Amino acid sequence: MNDTRPVALESAVRTKGLTKRYGELLAVDGLELEIAGGQFFGLLGPNGSGKTTTIHMLSTLVRPSAGSAIVAGHDVGKAPVSVRKEIGLVFQESALDRTLTIAQNLRFAGLLYDLEPAVIEKRSNELLELFGLNDKRNRPVGSLSGGMRRALDIVRGVIHHPRILFLDEPTIGLDLPNRRRIWRFIEQLRASTGMTVLLTTHYLEEADSCDQVAFIRAGKLVEQGTPKGLVGALGRHVIELEGRDLDALVAALEPRFGQALRDGDTAMFRHGDEDASALATLQAELGEKVSALRVRRPNLNDVFLWVNAARS
Amino acid sequence: MIVRPIYAVLEREVVKMFRQRTRLVSAMVRPLIWLFVIGAGFGTVVGRARGVDYQQFLVPGVLGMTILFGAMLAALTMVYDKESGVMRMLIIAPFAHHWIIVAKTLAAALAGIVQAALLLVVLAVLGFLSWKMSYALLAAGILMTALSCAGIGILVAAFTRTLDNFAAIMNFVIFPVFFLSGALYPIENLPVALKAVAMLNPFTYAVDLLKHALLGAQSTASGSELGVNVDFLVTAGFTLLAIALASWRFSREQAYEPLIHILTGKRG
Repeated sequence: MNDTRPVALESAVRTKGLTKRYGELLAVDGLELEIAGGQFFGLLGPNGSGKTTTIHMLSTLVRPSAGSAIVAGHDVGKAPVSVRKEIGLVFQESALDRTLTIAQNLRFAGLLYDLEPAVIEKRSNELLELFGLNDKRNRPVGSLSGGMRRALDIVRGVIHHPRILFLDEPTIGLDLPNRRRIWRFIEQLRASTGMTVLLTTHYLEEADSCDQVAFIRAGKLVEQGTPKGLVGALGRHVIELEGRDLDALVAALEPRFGQALRDGDTAMFRHGDEDASALATLQAELGEKVSALRVRRPNLNDVFLWVNAARS
Repeated sequence: MIVRPIYAVLEREVVKMFRQRTRLVSAMVRPLIWLFVIGAGFGTVVGRARGVDYQQFLVPGVLGMTILFGAMLAALTMVYDKESGVMRMLIIAPFAHHWIIVAKTLAAALAGIVQAALLLVVLAVLGFLSWKMSYALLAAGILMTALSCAGIGILVAAFTRTLDNFAAIMNFVIFPVFFLSGALYPIENLPVALKAVAMLNPFTYAVDLLKHALLGAQSTASGSELGVNVDFLVTAGFTLLAIALASWRFSREQAYEPLIHILTGKRG
């Protein structure tokens, strides 16, 4: 293998009716997914929606019950080894040998991809430098902090310069500074390699920088688009209300603002008009009936809530 | 090419083996206890076995035992690996999954061979080795013993979920394999039923090969009971069969899907 960067793929992932059944449970249900090469793609959905099972099928670790998936130009069912050659995987749980050092882990991983020791050495240095781990290369992985271990896991996942990188909840269980650090690394990696990245997460704010996001629910694709487009389609403002008699409030406002979304003690309305002056008077109008009223810009969390509300 | 990934697995095995020095030392001490305590003790009762001084008769047996424990325990660590990140690195690597079994078997055999080599040095220093032995046959014997012991271990590992019940594996696999072979006594004297079991035990043939190598030149009654060719054929055949069976088991979707879910902790 030489050291040139992979040429961008036209289509990184294309699935047709991808299905996985575990006995009675339909984990993934006829998923149709299309990811263009070089994209930063977010696969979003609640726990148990089928995100991880989808990643496992796309990475050839779980065989689909029905349907097909072409990843980096190869069929996951017919040519799993060719697929695995082109992809990098970072799981929720670390894929590292805790007893070996950082350098030994990367050497092991690199040799598994049939890389020459000199190439592994060179890339390890580059990547560890980028991820701020170079001074720790001879420390056993077991002694690293959670954030460093996750960073190393990503280094391990890209040591063979994959065309597509799968990141399954890469920041799960990390504190905010470490999550930010991991995102900076991923952005730098994307900038320097142009690799396609498929991300699953349920920290939706992390998906804001994606080129495309797809929401899945019960193993089905329910919404897809650019974060901006999806958020924009929701409206210009979201009105959040709290009050003692929420039912009455909702009933009073629904004729004006359309159907409300109830989330615990809060009711939310969408407002499509950029002009928020009508909203400014709302507080005065409702008076003591509301205990809190907030007008804000919608975000991906709202898309998620509305998408789920529409289907349940 | 698959050579480099296999080399990676072998290298990791050696790195880990030399890190666990106490295990290495105990692997040297265990056979010496057998040799000096059992060998000397039973020697007074048994005297000679198949024309060979009993303590001397035990030398191939304890060498075999070292390889058995070394290779088999190394192969059994695959069960631990199943629950650790290492197996994830292996299953996502770009080669067919049966190569994981091949690599792990070879690595376990290597662990057995290294321990056998160390023990040979100790045995030579203690004067238990005759310089007239057949070196080529000894090397081949150690190799075949290591491979078949690794094969037994990989079979057990492929069909075992956890090593929680390690005592059961000790009782039902390692001890029977060791005791129901020709390692401690000639199998010709065993009761028919036990002899039949011993004849089905690949370790019997492995130890017999070691006897050919170590005792062959010493006396006319060589201590070995089977032909060299038969020994080679059975150990090689068993190793291939064990790898094939373990690979089949490992590659079946059921074998590694639960693993993925254990590691992710959910079916999200």
